[in-house]
Amino acid sequence: MSRWLLLVCACVPLIAADDYVGSAACKTCHADVWFNFYKNPHYKSIASGDQPPDRTGCEGCHGPGKAHVEAHGGKTTIPRAFSLMQPKAVLDTCLTCHASNFSKSNIRRSQHSLADVVCTNCHSIHKSPAPQFLLARKQTELCYGCHADVRAQFSMPFKHRVNEGFMACTDCHNPHGTFAPTWGMADRPRLVDRAEGNEQACLKCHADKRGPFAYEHPPVRVEGCGVCHMPHGSTNAKLLVRPVVFTLCLRCHNGADSFGTRNNGIPALSNTHNMLDPRYQRCTLCHVRIHGSNSDGYFFR
Amino acid sequence: MRNIFLSGAANPVVGRAILPAAAFQAAHRVKAGGSILGLLLVAHAALAQQVVTPTPDQAGSPRGTNTGDYNVTDSFETGYRFAVVNGSVGTYRSDVNYGTGIRLLSGNLSVNSRDGHGRWFDQIVLTTIGLGNDPYQSVTLRVEKNKLYRYDMLWRLDDYFNPGLPVAGGQHLMDTTRHMQDHNLTLLPQSKIQFHLGYSRNTQDGPALSTVQLCFDGNIYCGTAGNEFPVFENVRREQNEFRLGADVDLAGFKLTLLHSWVFFKDDSGYQESGLESGDNPSTGVTLSQFQRAEPYHGASPYWLANLNKSGKSLAVNGRVTYVDGKGNFILDENAFGGTPLGAQNQQVQVGGDASRPSLTGDLSISVFPTARLTLVNNTSIDSTRIDGTSDYAQFNLATQTADFISFRYLGMRTIANATDLHYRLKDWLSFYGGYRYSERRIEDIEDYAIPSPLTGAMYEQENHLQAGLLGIRIKPLKAMTINLESEIGRANQPFTPVSDRNYIALGGRFEYRVKKLTLGALYKENYNNNSVTLSSYSSHARTYSANAAWTPRDWFTLDASYSKLHLDSLSGIVFFAGPEAASPLTSNQIYISNIHAANLVTRFVVAKRVDLYVGYTITDDTGDGRNTAAPAGATDPTTLIFAPVQTFPLSYQAPLARVSIRLREKLRWNAGWQYYNYHEQFGLESFYQGYHANTGYTSVTWAF
Repeated sequence: MSRWLLLVCACVPLIAADDYVGSAACKTCHADVWFNFYKNPHYKSIASGDQPPDRTGCEGCHGPGKAHVEAHGGKTTIPRAFSLMQPKAVLDTCLTCHASNFSKSNIRRSQHSLADVVCTNCHSIHKSPAPQFLLARKQTELCYGCHADVRAQFSMPFKHRVNEGFMACTDCHNPHGTFAPTWGMADRPRLVDRAEGNEQACLKCHADKRGPFAYEHPPVRVEGCGVCHMPHGSTNAKLLVRPVVFTLCLRCHNGADSFGTRNNGIPALSNTHNMLDPRYQRCTLCHVRIHGSNSDGYFFR
Repeated sequence: MRNIFLSGAANPVVGRAILPAAAFQAAHRVKAGGSILGLLLVAHAALAQQVVTPTPDQAGSPRGTNTGDYNVTDSFETGYRFAVVNGSVGTYRSDVNYGTGIRLLSGNLSVNSRDGHGRWFDQIVLTTIGLGNDPYQSVTLRVEKNKLYRYDMLWRLDDYFNPGLPVAGGQHLMDTTRHMQDHNLTLLPQSKIQFHLGYSRNTQDGPALSTVQLCFDGNIYCGTAGNEFPVFENVRREQNEFRLGADVDLAGFKLTLLHSWVFFKDDSGYQESGLESGDNPSTGVTLSQFQRAEPYHGASPYWLANLNKSGKSLAVNGRVTYVDGKGNFILDENAFGGTPLGAQNQQVQVGGDASRPSLTGDLSISVFPTARLTLVNNTSIDSTRIDGTSDYAQFNLATQTADFISFRYLGMRTIANATDLHYRLKDWLSFYGGYRYSERRIEDIEDYAIPSPLTGAMYEQENHLQAGLLGIRIKPLKAMTINLESEIGRANQPFTPVSDRNYIALGGRFEYRVKKLTLGALYKENYNNNSVTLSSYSSHARTYSANAAWTPRDWFTLDASYSKLHLDSLSGIVFFAGPEAASPLTSNQIYISNIHAANLVTRFVVAKRVDLYVGYTITDDTGDGRNTAAPAGATDPTTLIFAPVQTFPLSYQAPLARVSIRLREKLRWNAGWQYYNYHEQFGLESFYQGYHANTGYTSVTWAF
């Protein structure tokens, strides 16, 4: 016990402003919080010993504790008691230190922030069971907590292996907000992260689809992989949005209106494609390089 | 100075507040409650787990043990896994793929310096999943020394199997293994100048089956004379990325610089030997030997610069990214076979390169005029140009030769501006709204007409999309939150018939959360209407879900969720029915998916020693309610093709049960069973891919 006391005292800032009491004072009553705090990433500010009192230990986040100590406790005497704070105040407090982190560059405009889902909705600063990032729960469970429909998608027969532990939601998403996507329009899809700075997240792993190809399949670049695939999970093989491939292709290849790169409709099938013949129902049997080809404009090889 | 500080007397407030006896008692309360808290948190974290392994219950004390200046927490699970599959093994491998054998099912190790001044490190966190021979394996490692360095490693393996029935009638198959690893080292992580080094590697290897279309008639494209043959593919892909960057924190500005070198190569080869009659034997075209080498080597080096300034009333963020993608390739293909005219051989050679320079910039300005109001404006510009040359030569029996050079240029430039406003009217009521304007210009130059006049025809199109958002958040009780949101968008020239043109997105969320109970509900509706002349595309997606998590006692938890995912879409299609049909047919293609998905999990703790876990997951697509794939009595061949794929009813169930018994403080025994049952009501293109599988395991979890 005495060892702990010595350790705690050693970590208290050397110079405290008038209203700052130091973390050791907090520990007296909040031993449950303090007990494992050395495992907390925020402990670095204490261990470093060179941070000003408003940026270290308990008071770094909760504000000066003198009034709280003198009142012998009480949430209302804590300058920043997070359970009583409005979402924006929580965000502002955390961003005092974390704003300049590149991954949080878009946090002010993220869909989560707009919906008042802020730091403490997902992070548990004192009681995190997760090994990293102070998450309030294991990452997938945390996301599923609000996105039950996504959980259903990852339980479908064909899915990315998130439940199996191979992937995590943050492999593709940045819950803190992202830059405007370079595919699609109107800032959609939201919260989807980038590969190589400005490409679709899918290409982080599926590097063979990146190209550049001499012959790109334009919708892959223009609209994104989601035009044909359901990224979370699907009842269809290859995460396709349709159970068989020809219904997928025929949705666009109908020659109608001014769609497509030629401005006069996406080319319809030629009359050699007899849809009564099963061979022609399996489009990718011949058009094997459907994501892009280097040797054939029709993606034959 | 340090001695004064150690005494605690230097700070009168501290001196007055420290009551050793009270602190001692408080610390012991923590010790008593710590394990329970740990168990609860672990239990809650694992509650919605939908695969039976690994066992979430950890061995040893969640507080760990002190060793010297460090605290160590560890737990490892080793066991034997089995799987017995009946029905379509290929689909099982595609969906689940767990096999049989001994595994290190999971591992967790954390070592923490107790004073933040470890000699070589202050923290090590290691987690593993599925090591040994599981199809999905991962290892994460963090090693950190305060102020000096932080190293993160992620290694993953994925065994991928897909028989590809719906895309190629089962003639495309992949049985590949993907290895991925990421290493990131940050030097001086707490200083104003930080340096970042990184390396990532992504490989994909394994056998695959593909197809090739041939006709040996001297034409580049075969038309109806073509025949498709299966070929073996040896997949060999590799990407290496090296990163170097720095963060500079100066005068309130944060500058992030990153340069990355990305190298990709695909050296997959194709071959076939043995007489093949192909999918279209009526042509008389056969294949006896085939070989294709197609090396592709590319690089995508990129620069990223980001400047951030955050203040109390203003925050600004600017970013520029430039990617210089390049690829060089060659293809050498030899085919030997025959036609009714006799033996044939054909050689195809292609060489060329492709490039994709891409420049992206963003500027985001956030203003906080009052504590209740936030305004954010973001402007982004993206310019991508994809260009390439491909020199194609085809030789047939050394007499017929076809030669052309073709290329395609695809350029995209998007300018987008988004403004978001968030206003808190009352503590329990806030609004947000937004407006987005996007303008995208696409240029295309293409030339692969047959024969090949190099016309280089150029096409252009522009799409303007405007969208508005409105949302409201109500918090009538501290534990209750209601969110309602809507978005409406209009585009004047979408790129494809399925792109957003006139769309409406509506959503609502409800959450009630108290200590032992969480209730949630979700509603989303997306409606897109892209109807034009000759093509009437519309889609209507509705999602409803509800979930509940209840922990009435320390020894009992219940978690349940239900989702209904409904999609109906209508597409205008054009196709030909009949050999060399003179005129196309037009029709509407309907697709209806009506998925009910549910998840139920309960967990009991018996006598603080035995953990029982029972779960059930079901995905049931009821389709459009029909009982037969095609209408009864239908004889029209077109109806018989299109009607059965308007819907795809199926069910997929996965009940599971698991028991974990604490034998000693640092030793647990676990056993679990999970059953998979996949059933397609109508099959697909005459394939029935149903299966049922019993999987299970027994293991021990121990801590050192």
